[in-house]
Amino acid sequence: MSDHQDHHDGHQVNYKKIYFILLGLLVVSVAGPFLEILWVTLLTAFGIAIVKARLVINNFMHLKWEKRLVKWVLTTSLLLMGLMFAGVAPDVMNHEGNNWENLAAQAAVARGVAGEHEEEEAEDVVEVVVGFSAQSTFTVVCGACHGAAGDGTGAAAAALNPRPASFIDPVFWETRDRDRILTVIRDGAAAVGGSPLMVPWRASYDDEQIQALTDYVMSLRPNE
Amino acid sequence: MANAKPLATLRSATGIPTGRLAVWWVLASEVVIFGGLLGAYLMHRLGHPEWAEAAAHTNTWVGAFNTFVLLSSSFTAVLAHQAAEKGNGKEAAKLLGFTILGALTFLIVKSGEWTYEIMHGYTITANNFWSFYYTAAGLHALHVIAGAIIMGFVAVDAYRGRELHRVELIGIYWHFVDVVWIFLFPLLYIAK
Ligand code: HEC
Repeated sequence: MSDHQDHHDGHQVNYKKIYFILLGLLVVSVAGPFLEILWVTLLTAFGIAIVKARLVINNFMHLKWEKRLVKWVLTTSLLLMGLMFAGVAPDVMNHEGNNWENLAAQAAVARGVAGEHEEEEAEDVVEVVVGFSAQSTFTVVCGACHGAAGDGTGAAAAALNPRPASFIDPVFWETRDRDRILTVIRDGAAAVGGSPLMVPWRASYDDEQIQALTDYVMSLRPNE
Repeated sequence: MANAKPLATLRSATGIPTGRLAVWWVLASEVVIFGGLLGAYLMHRLGHPEWAEAAAHTNTWVGAFNTFVLLSSSFTAVLAHQAAEKGNGKEAAKLLGFTILGALTFLIVKSGEWTYEIMHGYTITANNFWSFYYTAAGLHALHVIAGAIIMGFVAVDAYRGRELHRVELIGIYWHFVDVVWIFLFPLLYIAK
């Protein structure tokens, strides 16, 4: 038996022709960058991607002949995606604004751009991109909760329970030593019976970096 | 009566066969999934000129070859649809077989490519470019795997002359996977 009540109003597509056009476009998009002209590359890369996608969507997926409802559903999705892009992109693409600065991103750009000149010597990218400073890591990464100065007043601190203690408070240091600090940073506060919100950092930083972070936290201790 | 089917597969308020409407619905959500991921990649890429250095290490030829493979598999998928429309289940099954072959080729090339890259230190944690690279291409590869498996079932049915309309449905999904790659290719391999 046949469930074929549907078929599109007898349209005919020359699939072979479409296929060969697609292959031709693929060749152009690969050839584009060889001219080494930026706008040509962008045009042959993305302009052609859009043309190829249209050919596939219209002729292979038959969207051209599909009921309008389907086009609306898909358009809605595309618009939602556009909305997400428009809302988020300005913050991601700029690294500073009126009242904020994305230090991590700025540092990454600066490091990366400087790194390009060393490319010849660099064995692999990993070396080039991982530059580490305990102070800037603390300010940017840990600072969100601990405050850039380590005083426990990070932007996210209000939402934490328990809140992170102040590292510049002598009372805190009465009950702490270097080992303890190192353990918490490496294995998380849960490892010493504290809050799981202070996560372990050993996956993000290697031993040397964790030592450096520990030294940095220790350096916040006020001298009596 | 042995062939009794759920009511929903037999009627259609929209004039679109229920199965096909469902596939489009899936694709609408896929648009948001891939769109979100690629959009996020794009905005980071634009905000980070230094990614160009990392992106320069992807292999355009491998990417181009895989684009060729996917375009060809889309071609055989649409020919399978055409055969199914004419009621030729055996031919449709054969053409779907070629499409599955395309999927396997794509995956084999991809694993070779990734193995090479990972062995050279370009792992998913090397930097944000590589994180996006593996996440986007990985999510896409999962779709290729899923599509190939489903296509296997559809092909077996089609060979026996059953459920021929499903050949079109898996085809629509497959072309979408192709379209996603059409955008991934310039994003990850060409514009660098
Ligand atoms: C998501 C928020 C958050 C981030 C990010 C965070 N911490 Fe914490 N941290 C906490 C909280 C909450 C506590 C308190 C845990 C408790 O008292 O149980 C804490 C406690 C600590 C302590 C004190 C341990 C003690 O002996 O009581 C140290 C040291 C510390 N964090 C270091 C760091 C470092 C270094 C980083 C960055 C690599 C960091 N934290 C990032 C939330 C955070």
